Amino acid sequence: MTETSIFIMIFGVSLASLLPRILPIALLSRVTFPPLLTRWLSYIAPAVLGALTAVSILAPEGALNISIDNIFIWAFIPTLYSAVKTRSLFITLIVGIICMALLYNLM
Amino acid sequence: MKNIELIEGMRDSIPIVLGYFPLGFAFGVLAAQVGLSVFQATMMSVLCFTGAGQYIAIGVVQAGGAIITAIIANILINMRYFLFATSMVPHFKHLPTLPASLLSYGLTDETYAVAVNRYQKHKASIAYMAGLNLTSHISWILSTFIGAALGMLIADTDKFGFGFALPAMYTCLLVLMISRKSDIIAAISAAVICIVIGYYLPASMSNMSNIIAATMIGATIGVLIND
Repeated sequence: MTETSIFIMIFGVSLASLLPRILPIALLSRVTFPPLLTRWLSYIAPAVLGALTAVSILAPEGALNISIDNIFIWAFIPTLYSAVKTRSLFITLIVGIICMALLYNLM
Repeated sequence: MKNIELIEGMRDSIPIVLGYFPLGFAFGVLAAQVGLSVFQATMMSVLCFTGAGQYIAIGVVQAGGAIITAIIANILINMRYFLFATSMVPHFKHLPTLPASLLSYGLTDETYAVAVNRYQKHKASIAYMAGLNLTSHISWILSTFIGAALGMLIADTDKFGFGFALPAMYTCLLVLMISRKSDIIAAISAAVICIVIGYYLPASMSNMSNIIAATMIGATIGVLIND
């Protein structure tokens, strides 16, 4: 690719990533949503995190890998335990990273 | 008051920074490998703040594909932020629109989840958003720059366990997000649905459309159960 086309691509990707985040806040921030929509939106966060967690654990390389060879599943167990026990993002992250480092180097 | 909230936002971004660093670094290394200059790679992380989207764009460059392919893939991948941003609107009612809109550019899966967790107990503020979103974005830019400039010198980060930073973060944020019984049901439904869609339509895994569909269905199930 030429330098110009790389910059055109960067600009296009920038718009595609910028507009969906900015437009709702810019256009809707003075709009009051009906209660049913507000309730639906309150479930977006738990739902998307359920989906992201599942994909990041069960398809760590981009393709589904539901088997005992998938060390992400093993690391998930102590990580979930420390998340429930500590409710601390930082401690959970450290536990997860250490478990993964051990599994990666030992298995 | 403002300073405290700014610092709280920065503090809450520390786990995100830890998670982004290896990813931004790896992006910088890859971008340099496919022939982007250090400046181009860094500018990409300044102007686009979309991990998966940037990886795909780099893949398109490598394959010599059309620019429009990278852009369409990014429209699909970034569609979920439309949902996230819309779900933030009720929290932002009292904020000035312009800075709230501009700072929403720093909205990612991680900053979104941390912010939603924060707004359960605190009012949203521009200072907190700035601390959280800008620190996260700066770490993304910086790690890209380091990866593109020095990538060849440093061994792969997998063996240090950094590959699990984002999964660990999602796991904890998921736990923090659950306060109602219907939250658990919405989360588990979305998890199962996105895996099932990914199983039958593997292509949906790469553009993350399975996550968008599963999120919308999961949220609908949450509303139907409602407790």
